[in-house]
Amino acid sequence: MIIRNFGVRHGRRVLAAPLSRSCLRTLSSSSTRPATTPTTFAEPATAAPTTTQAYAAAQAAARQAELARIPANFAEYSHQREHTRNVGSRVESRYHPDQMLLDPPHDASLEMLMAAQVHMGHHVSQWNPANQRYIYGERAGIHIISLETTATHLRRAARVVEEVAYYGGLILFVGNRKEHMPVVVRAAELAQGYHLFQKWTPGAITNRDVILANGELQIVNELDQPIDGFGKHLRDRRPVMPDLVVCLNPLENYPLLHECGVATIPTIGIIDTDADPTWVTYQIPGNDDSLRSVTLIAGILGRAGQRGQQRRLADANEGIVTWSTPNDVAKFIERDAAEKARNVAKSAEGPVDEPTLTREDFLTDEELLAELSDGPRPPQGP
Amino acid sequence: MVRGRQFLAARVHETALAQRGATILPEINFAKSPWVKAVAHIPPAETLTRPYPIQHTERHDRGRALQRPRNLFRPTSIVHPEDQLRQDFFRDHPWELARPKLVLELDGKDARYRDWSKGLRQPGMALSGESVVQRQLWLMEVKGLSKQRAYDIARKEFYKLRQQEEIERRIAAEEARMYGAYFGKTNMQVGMELEDAMYDKWKKWATNEIARLESQRTAAYSNVVDATEEKLDEEEELDL
Repeated sequence: MIIRNFGVRHGRRVLAAPLSRSCLRTLSSSSTRPATTPTTFAEPATAAPTTTQAYAAAQAAARQAELARIPANFAEYSHQREHTRNVGSRVESRYHPDQMLLDPPHDASLEMLMAAQVHMGHHVSQWNPANQRYIYGERAGIHIISLETTATHLRRAARVVEEVAYYGGLILFVGNRKEHMPVVVRAAELAQGYHLFQKWTPGAITNRDVILANGELQIVNELDQPIDGFGKHLRDRRPVMPDLVVCLNPLENYPLLHECGVATIPTIGIIDTDADPTWVTYQIPGNDDSLRSVTLIAGILGRAGQRGQQRRLADANEGIVTWSTPNDVAKFIERDAAEKARNVAKSAEGPVDEPTLTREDFLTDEELLAELSDGPRPPQGP
Repeated sequence: MVRGRQFLAARVHETALAQRGATILPEINFAKSPWVKAVAHIPPAETLTRPYPIQHTERHDRGRALQRPRNLFRPTSIVHPEDQLRQDFFRDHPWELARPKLVLELDGKDARYRDWSKGLRQPGMALSGESVVQRQLWLMEVKGLSKQRAYDIARKEFYKLRQQEEIERRIAAEEARMYGAYFGKTNMQVGMELEDAMYDKWKKWATNEIARLESQRTAAYSNVVDATEEKLDEEEELDL
């Protein structure tokens, strides 16, 4: 298109066409909007205060008026609150996934066990007939564990944990499936015990001199306060063993349980319908595949340990020590005391100048033969 | 694995007590361990014994089985009166199984809050096939109705409530739309769009493929090159 001819070509048509409304509106000088009304301000009727005194008086009056409104407002608020208090819904209890982990119960009712799926066993074809006495029946292809049996065994195991904690034993919680980590850590935290959520190193009990050689140890008194002066002993002593092992998945931990049996350590284990109950000392028949079931059982055992530790510390505060010093530590204390006494005595005597032995102090060959040929001497006293 | 039965674990306390008087290696004497005192009065439970199991159901004894009982110690299957009712309901209403279901229970006391004399709606429980089954069982056991009659009553109550739920849901959606809610695409629409996109992609690919094949076919006829010329060209290239 040739631009310079545009006006000539189209100008006539543009002028002939009636102008559109919008164009007219923009061109017109008169505004269609309503005229703005002057803004009115709520000014006091009186003239503006000329002195500061009058201003202060007005301020005080305003303040008084404001204060006077407070009781009425409060009354209205109270009235509203009273009448709308029951309106709306209130959430009574909310499901928290970690409820059993954070606040485990001290004892489990049968309903609680059932809600945590403790009763569900394995498929019938995977049954280990050794645990027939724990099974209530068969349903939907799986074995149903009798929860009465579970509850009694769980109470017994909880008592074992409590008593071992009371007598100052070391409790080890083992659960080395992937999701067991928070469970064993929480149980160990409650029972002031130890936890293992990784692979059990085979031989960590039977060959502990090698495998746990670099482990740190601490000697504590009856109030669990560390005592100094055992550096030499800690350097020389053997690594410790647990006094009780709680295993959440015995099927994967046969080496651990066997070592415990060899080293005479009692064990507690969750026995599902495919596990062997003779692997552990104290069985808890239950579902070891459900995280909720494992959390509940470990939580109850942890709580039991907590009770035991609390009882032990309470007794220790009253001067009752529930445990006796281990043999090796006692022997070290004895030796150490003797050595110290000897040192003290030696320092009291003062440095003794021992005369150096000369040739005259030893027996000659003839004298020695004469001594030997005298025959056996009568035995000396002890 | 060890063959046979091992009783090391069950006999730890006896072992520890037997070591009490041992004079060899007194350092590793377990009798002084803290746990020995602790478990002195808590003996382990009995294991490996087989009590006669609870007989939930009678075994089917036929022929030779009558002469010699088998599977005496095998746990029997548990049967509840609801089982048949549940099976019937879900056979008649298979799509009820497609609805989401809550399988979590907190304290295990949910059943105590139910009162099936009051109808299908129960506190803390969504309307489902299970409500029909429980209501039917209640009608049969308490009201003494026949299975079929109880099923009809419970079923019709259920239909009415489901219809009501459906209407409520529709009206709620309508209201929300009126107030400007936007629900986005439905799953069906999203699926259709994905499917259409895939079809378009395939169509593009297929068109190209057809064109390629067509050109190959035509080239086979039209593009007959003289072999001597080609050879000459190659020689020229080599010279360069």
